[in-house]
Amino acid sequence: MDEPKGDTIVGEAANEPTTESVPGDAQVAQGQAAAPVKRARGSLLRAVLPIIILGVVLLVLPTFIPSFLQSLVTKMMIFSIFAMSMNILWGYANIPTFGHAVFFGAGGYAAGILIFHAGISNFWLNLVLAVLFAAAVAALLGFPAFRVYGVGAGNTNPIYFLLVTLAFGEIAARVAIWARSLTGGSTGMAGIPYPDLGMGLKMTPSRYYYLVFIFAVVCIYLMYRIENSHYGYGLRGIHDNERRMQALGYNTWLYKYTSWVIAGAFGGVAGVLFAYFGGVMTPNSLAMQTSEIGFMAVILGGATLFAGPIVGVVLYVGIEYLASLYLPDRWPLILGAMFVAVIMLMRQGLGPMLVDVWRRLIRGSS
Amino acid sequence: MNQVLVTGLNGLSYAFILFLVAAGFSLTFGVMGVLNLAHGALFMLGAYIGLAVVGRLDAFWFGVVVAGLGLAAIGFALYYFFLRHLYNHPPEQGVLTIGIALVVANIVLWIWGPFAQMGLTPPRLTGVIHVGDLAFPIYRVFIVGVGLVVLGVLWWMQDKTRWGAIIRAGMDNKDMTVSLGINYGLVSTLVFVFGIALAGAAGFLGTPILGAYPSMGDNLLLLTLVVVIVGGTGYIQGTMLGALIIGVLDTFGKAYFPSAALFTSYVIFVIVLLVRPSGLIGRKVF
Repeated sequence: MDEPKGDTIVGEAANEPTTESVPGDAQVAQGQAAAPVKRARGSLLRAVLPIIILGVVLLVLPTFIPSFLQSLVTKMMIFSIFAMSMNILWGYANIPTFGHAVFFGAGGYAAGILIFHAGISNFWLNLVLAVLFAAAVAALLGFPAFRVYGVGAGNTNPIYFLLVTLAFGEIAARVAIWARSLTGGSTGMAGIPYPDLGMGLKMTPSRYYYLVFIFAVVCIYLMYRIENSHYGYGLRGIHDNERRMQALGYNTWLYKYTSWVIAGAFGGVAGVLFAYFGGVMTPNSLAMQTSEIGFMAVILGGATLFAGPIVGVVLYVGIEYLASLYLPDRWPLILGAMFVAVIMLMRQGLGPMLVDVWRRLIRGSS
Repeated sequence: MNQVLVTGLNGLSYAFILFLVAAGFSLTFGVMGVLNLAHGALFMLGAYIGLAVVGRLDAFWFGVVVAGLGLAAIGFALYYFFLRHLYNHPPEQGVLTIGIALVVANIVLWIWGPFAQMGLTPPRLTGVIHVGDLAFPIYRVFIVGVGLVVLGVLWWMQDKTRWGAIIRAGMDNKDMTVSLGINYGLVSTLVFVFGIALAGAAGFLGTPILGAYPSMGDNLLLLTLVVVIVGGTGYIQGTMLGALIIGVLDTFGKAYFPSAALFTSYVIFVIVLLVRPSGLIGRKVF
């Protein structure tokens, strides 16, 4: 695990004009994008130790837990990729979207269609094509979507953009229902087999766990590098004050558009992994029901924190599992109440609180 | 020729149903700037409340009033306890109201069960009108009339009353409006409540045509979004125009190109986004 490499990038980029936040214009932003910078300046131990602990725990976990918990953790890792890709938009570039599941579903459906209709059984080829498809969908939808960014009350008010992305998700689900010969209609596509890695390995649930683990590590590392690169600081600058970034000569439209496509590609990776994991893709995986997981995790975990969405996903998937055991019929009610509670009571999310606890632990022990 | 006339009349009545579905949303979203994604769910709740009243008392107009008043109470609670604190935070408003929509849909499912219910038209509005050799249901004509009345009231409210001016001013700059000594909180609360009550009453009035079922909210929300975005926000006449375009073109598409018709309104939606992102009649604020 070599996350600390990112620190050199942080050091260079800390001189960017984006770190000075301007009060007033950025009222719409729900936090300061500068927060992650402060965190990265702390000692190596503080930042890296939790990652190593988490990694080791996840590596040895499958030998200790029953298989249903193993699949639960697999699901958490898949949705961590999804939620973190959504946080590139929500937390870093200030592009709140309700339609991120479109890319998740596009990736998953593309993988299934390639298996059933194109006869491609090779996992890697399938993955590359499906992720390219998800990115292409993002690239296409980006044009109409970013036409409306900023329309509405105030200068950078994303209210209209939220509506458009929400409509995209619902329309995509209806397209999937309509194209029955390809997608299986409203019942969806079932029976997607475990992937064939092409190395003579028989895929089992526990091997799939490790495959997802590797993907999660690689994707999260890549997202970390992206968000802490020159480009990522450009996005944070747009989050804080888009007009100033424009005045500085940044093509903010291009920044937002490319971040949308990048997030779409990572969402597609999560979708492909999910398609192989559950074996089923339904129109719901394109629509609000799946996007909800993403922004719930982002808000619950804290959009200002790089790893915040992971906290959110763990809580979401855990509560969903408990609800499915005890109150399966009332799950939407519980979820809705969670949305209301999170927005009204803890808009900063749980992530920053956990970081605080961790800092105190470190200080107390040393 | 007759075929075209019937399709046109159907399209017109569908357009007014769409307008009634979208009017409350257009008021709270376009004029006040509050993103209420629970609109579809509250519309559905209005339908169920009205049906419950009619099921017990067999009084159609009383059902309309109760649906409107019940939803007004819910709208007041929603605004006073939640949305008031999220002024100018659209993503938070959206997430909150999505949560409310989930709660409402699940409670409706809990109380009334998963099966669709159809409303009955009151006796005086049952039957058909004959135009030449064509028959057209009276209830659809009645819906067009209701839609016209709602359009008139909202237009008058928006353009001619002091309240309309206050709401428009508050959408542009709340602090400035308040500092001029205007009780923006009271006005915005009442307008929001009025918008939700409108959705509730319209929900019940729509039951003979749309029915009522627990997953109805999502479908209606999508229709509302398409209508409002095509028409443009900020003006109620934009919503009417959007509803007319979507309603008429969608009905003609279904009559003449049934295989491709599912996506007529979505294609219009994307074209409008690309050509005129602020909608056909919309406030252009970039």
